[in-house]
Amino acid sequence: MDALMDWMLSTPINQLVIGYAWSWPTLESLHFLALCTLMGSLLIMDLRLIGLQRIIPLSAVHSLMPLAIGSFAINLISGLGFLFGDPNTYFQNYAFWVKMGFIVLAGINFLVYFTKVEPQILKLGPNDPTPGSAKVVGVLSLVFWFGVLSYGRLLPYLGTGGG
Amino acid sequence: MAFLEAVGLAECVHGVPATQAGFLGWLEASGLGECVRSSTPGYPSMIALHAIGMAVMVGLSLVIDLRVLGFFSGIPLAALKRFFGIAWIGFGINFLSGSALFSAQAISYMVDWVFLTKMGLVLLGAVTAGILQPAVANAGTGPLPGSTKAIAGAAIVIWIVAIIMGRLTAYL
Repeated sequence: MDALMDWMLSTPINQLVIGYAWSWPTLESLHFLALCTLMGSLLIMDLRLIGLQRIIPLSAVHSLMPLAIGSFAINLISGLGFLFGDPNTYFQNYAFWVKMGFIVLAGINFLVYFTKVEPQILKLGPNDPTPGSAKVVGVLSLVFWFGVLSYGRLLPYLGTGGG
Repeated sequence: MAFLEAVGLAECVHGVPATQAGFLGWLEASGLGECVRSSTPGYPSMIALHAIGMAVMVGLSLVIDLRVLGFFSGIPLAALKRFFGIAWIGFGINFLSGSALFSAQAISYMVDWVFLTKMGLVLLGAVTAGILQPAVANAGTGPLPGSTKAIAGAAIVIWIVAIIMGRLTAYL
């Protein structure tokens, strides 16, 4: 882990992130904007899976998926920027690992949705009730992603070395 | 009460005598301001709630604005009315958590132009949501009027700049 942190600190990415006064706030602004579009699209998709607003066709809800994935990609890249800028602070903070744990759980939940649930529900018409598996995946998705958001925001205040 | 004492929230209910003149000084010195500023869980819990409310209000607003502009056109507009209701819950969470955060540093916030710009944009954003909500709820299957689309386009810009200003508030 120490070797990884030393390597991160030696990269040009590290210089880019901490070498300019505007880099960090720019990354933060991107991270916040994309978390909004990620959570906004997830709220509509997951609440529809749970059973809210059944007049929305599930295939139409699915059209929000590129927005959710694109937003996550922006946050993955900006998040890696923070990590390369100040690896020691993050790796030593338990809240960071809890946040990463929630992201892994959300990823597993997404794979279950993608492989098991989606093939069943895309055949359903508007107003058809969603199966129990879709409701479970929808609830878990919201729990895990709000967990990611909460621990991400609490990160500077929890654990050690935060600031 | 023992639980409240343990988590530090009990400080919120004990008044603190005013030490600075004026309403802002009184607010900062109030039990709420003192609690949010000094108690260990007070400030982070309000910060976390503020992020959750932001994601709900701004996230849903941006997706609805994009739908009004013509993206995700398979989603019936009228079905989004319900999601405006959820967005307003996020707004309520942020009004309350934001008031608590403001009370912790009222005097310095009121002279910070970044903060004041953010507040103006948040109010404008809320106005756009208030205008778009009935327009979306009453939308038929035909195209929306250009004025409605213009408001949605403006709302996207307003929310983006509001988020950036909110983030920069931490730096000034």
